[in-house]
Amino acid sequence: MKVLLLTTDIYGGYGGIALYNRDFAAAVASHPDCDELVVVPRLIPNTPEEIPPKVRFVAEAARNNAAYFRAVGALRREKFDLVFCGHVNLLPVARMMVERPALLIYGIEAWKPLRDRVRNRLARNACAVISISDVTLTRFLAWSSYGGRTFILPNAIHLEEYAIGPRDPALVARYGLEGKRVLLTVGRIVAAERYKGFDEVIEVLPDLPKDVVYLVAGGGNDLSRLKKKAADLGLADRVIFTGLFPDSEKPALYNLADVYVMPSRGEGFGFVLLEALACGVPAIGSRHDGGREALRGGQLGVLVDPASCADLRLAINELLARGGRQIPPGLAYFSFDNFRARVHTIINELRK
Amino acid sequence: MCGIAALFAYKDGAPPVRREELEAINERMRPRGPDAGGAWISDDGRVGLAARRLAIIDLSPEGDQPLTDTSGDLVIVFNGEIYNHRELRARLERSGARFHSSSDTEVLLQLYRAHGADMVELLRGMFAFCIWDKRTERMFVARDPYGIKPLYLADDGSMIRIASTVKALLAGGGISRTRDAAGIAGFFLTGTVPEPFTMFESVRAVEAGTSFFIDASGRGPARPHYSIANVFLRGCAQHAFVGLVPPAMQLREFVSESLTYHLVSDVPVGAFLSAGIDSSGLVALANHVSRGGPLRTVTLSFDVFHGHERDESNTAERFAREMHSKHTTRMVTREEFESDLPRFFDAMDQPTIDGVNTWFVSKATAEQGLKVAISGVGGDELFGSYPSFASVPRMVHGMTLARKVPGGMPAARAALRMLKSPKAPGIARFGSTWSGAYLVQRGLYMPWELHEVMPRDTAEEGLKRLGFLERAEMALQPNPSSDFGRVATLEAVFYMRNQLLRDTDWASMAHSLEVRTPLVDGWLLRQLAPLLTNEGSASKQYFADSPKPPLPEYVRNRPKTGFVVPLIDWAQLEPDGTGTRMRSWAKRVLENFG
Repeated sequence: MKVLLLTTDIYGGYGGIALYNRDFAAAVASHPDCDELVVVPRLIPNTPEEIPPKVRFVAEAARNNAAYFRAVGALRREKFDLVFCGHVNLLPVARMMVERPALLIYGIEAWKPLRDRVRNRLARNACAVISISDVTLTRFLAWSSYGGRTFILPNAIHLEEYAIGPRDPALVARYGLEGKRVLLTVGRIVAAERYKGFDEVIEVLPDLPKDVVYLVAGGGNDLSRLKKKAADLGLADRVIFTGLFPDSEKPALYNLADVYVMPSRGEGFGFVLLEALACGVPAIGSRHDGGREALRGGQLGVLVDPASCADLRLAINELLARGGRQIPPGLAYFSFDNFRARVHTIINELRK
Repeated sequence: MCGIAALFAYKDGAPPVRREELEAINERMRPRGPDAGGAWISDDGRVGLAARRLAIIDLSPEGDQPLTDTSGDLVIVFNGEIYNHRELRARLERSGARFHSSSDTEVLLQLYRAHGADMVELLRGMFAFCIWDKRTERMFVARDPYGIKPLYLADDGSMIRIASTVKALLAGGGISRTRDAAGIAGFFLTGTVPEPFTMFESVRAVEAGTSFFIDASGRGPARPHYSIANVFLRGCAQHAFVGLVPPAMQLREFVSESLTYHLVSDVPVGAFLSAGIDSSGLVALANHVSRGGPLRTVTLSFDVFHGHERDESNTAERFAREMHSKHTTRMVTREEFESDLPRFFDAMDQPTIDGVNTWFVSKATAEQGLKVAISGVGGDELFGSYPSFASVPRMVHGMTLARKVPGGMPAARAALRMLKSPKAPGIARFGSTWSGAYLVQRGLYMPWELHEVMPRDTAEEGLKRLGFLERAEMALQPNPSSDFGRVATLEAVFYMRNQLLRDTDWASMAHSLEVRTPLVDGWLLRQLAPLLTNEGSASKQYFADSPKPPLPEYVRNRPKTGFVVPLIDWAQLEPDGTGTRMRSWAKRVLENFG
């Protein structure tokens, strides 16, 4: 079996979608019938990770749009048993390869009609839609009237890469966290994505005990607005911004936290919730986006209404009071083994 | 759904609670809860709690009230439904709580133990309850955000009496029956008695969306737990989220979620079906989320409307067929109306010019063996489909401009003189403020007309204490920041709370029917506020688009009538200068109000 995966970013990519795509590629390549997986990336912002066996990574496609089209054009000479289109924006390119590719959807990019009729038609015409979450799939189906096969494929968490650990003294000193209880949110802080819930957490901070501080981990163009907001509310010393941080520091960052909190409205899934849980940090997610599924409807953490300050405040207090850290047994639902099994099931279904 | 009562002899030396009074209050509420009744009096006789029960969640005797927790420290009486009780239970269990029944009442007790007064912030539902906390010798009292469930209080300085209805409190015989001029003035001014007033000086409504404690020093300050104005204010600040999901999809998702919660029941649930968008939209969306198949639907038909566009039955029947609902059209005749009037006035807890329609549709639904029904009430307030959403802002902006422009006011007065409406002078006088314009829009009588229906000095005293304009301005704090938000807040706090919801409660409870209102839901409003402030009254059409398939044209394009009753003919109302003759009906209501 020879498989093609057209993606935005994957190896060398930063963030949740790149990670999801890497896991997806690894799972596809591990299928017993897979002879080769060809991966065509649109972007390679960082040095690519080690490419797994059976994966051919067409790195030159990432130079620019023209290079991407050239690379895909060259692949038309080859025959693929399955073609996965890793983003709705790549549908026209995927159409060059096959009439009806399988489409992967993640979050807000698929929650409303696409930018033009051609893409909308191509989306409706996919041979299958693989969604990271039920909320994304439901919203996609509502506007697209897609009637074909659908699959839910939630993120995987590599449990072995995370663990409950002590607070790193260097980080405690760097962020002034000695003697403090820490709320944490990890994510990009950009104006176009004001749906992660940073504002909501800052707004409830005055009503929380004074020893509770909020660690905002991430960088982006909305950072200065959030800093000003915190200062205006008299919270400059209780809201701490890490700025951009290396991926290698991530587990240590989670281990600084007493509660992970993300009252978001625009998350397709909310992978960071799984990372926090994998470090034994109790988590608060949103009942109105993919966070609901990451926390398995409330089994793995507390779900809140992101529009309710009171709901958020009470949830934080409840988890702070509950104390203790443990990795919930139910987190194994999202293990990579289960993810791989789900991908193999999807492939087997698609080949029928 | 129940009727509840609480007596608390809070002051040192106050006479103890009399069981006869408690039972008399409870007995007056029997139709609200025909399935069971109970009373509890503390060992020292200072506190008494009683309840009548209409069993809907956990039908076993373990859900009977008053309910005491296992420690014996907490005792509760509760009227309403907590729709998210299952998830709250799961959350409490994860924190170590153990339950002995599957009732939502026990969840309230455990939640109070875990969170104290903050517990009300977590409740999704309609509720009014009292919890006696033996540990602190305090009573905790709370009412839901919109005031769907009623709760009244009388404080004579040594004992506080609380009940679900005013008439139940009176039936206990322990309070004064002196009529309240503010209540009467409020009734003629608005067609209903605005909260917190009642028709009796000794009784006040517990403010919706608040909670408080009562201890040895009496009633403590009310603590708000929900503000509709604040939700709209925050909605304005959250426009960024509006574009994430198309409007019809948002409405489908959030209203379906609300429906899912409102369908939580251990008995079958039906639905009131008019031929309008709100009830039709709910029935269509419920088809996707109801586990028990399509809802059973009920529509009223009046013989005198036969063949008239006001007859909703044909459209409703056609729609119900398409929804595969088991449908009932219930014909109401003049004879039945006249025969029911004495019972109707007896059940009416506070005078109101509305309620006839809800009386008959509730009666018809109960006749079908149903104990619970979904209603589309609140849809017009939510989606901005009343004329007030256009007329009130127009009045305010127009009169504000007229006051600024030289010669503007004389010109405006001259133009208004040409209008035949008795309200026209009110536009010049009140129209430049939101509270004033709303009063003109919704008023039955104008303040200067009240002497026609009550003694002049009583009217003046009543109006002064009523303070309608001041209360309306208070309701708009914080400023909802949009015209839509201001009118929606006023409609929810005044017309919907004082008339629609109150009438729905007594008129349905008289038939032992619980009416649920998925479009009147504080959690739903929080999600929709950004969309509503952005889209305004266009939201209604998005709601019509929200089911799959969208509502048919014959429902969407039908002229808006609501549940109309042929009152003018049946009650032989005299002309009163208004098209609806509601002024005549108001006088008739007050004459008959017991």
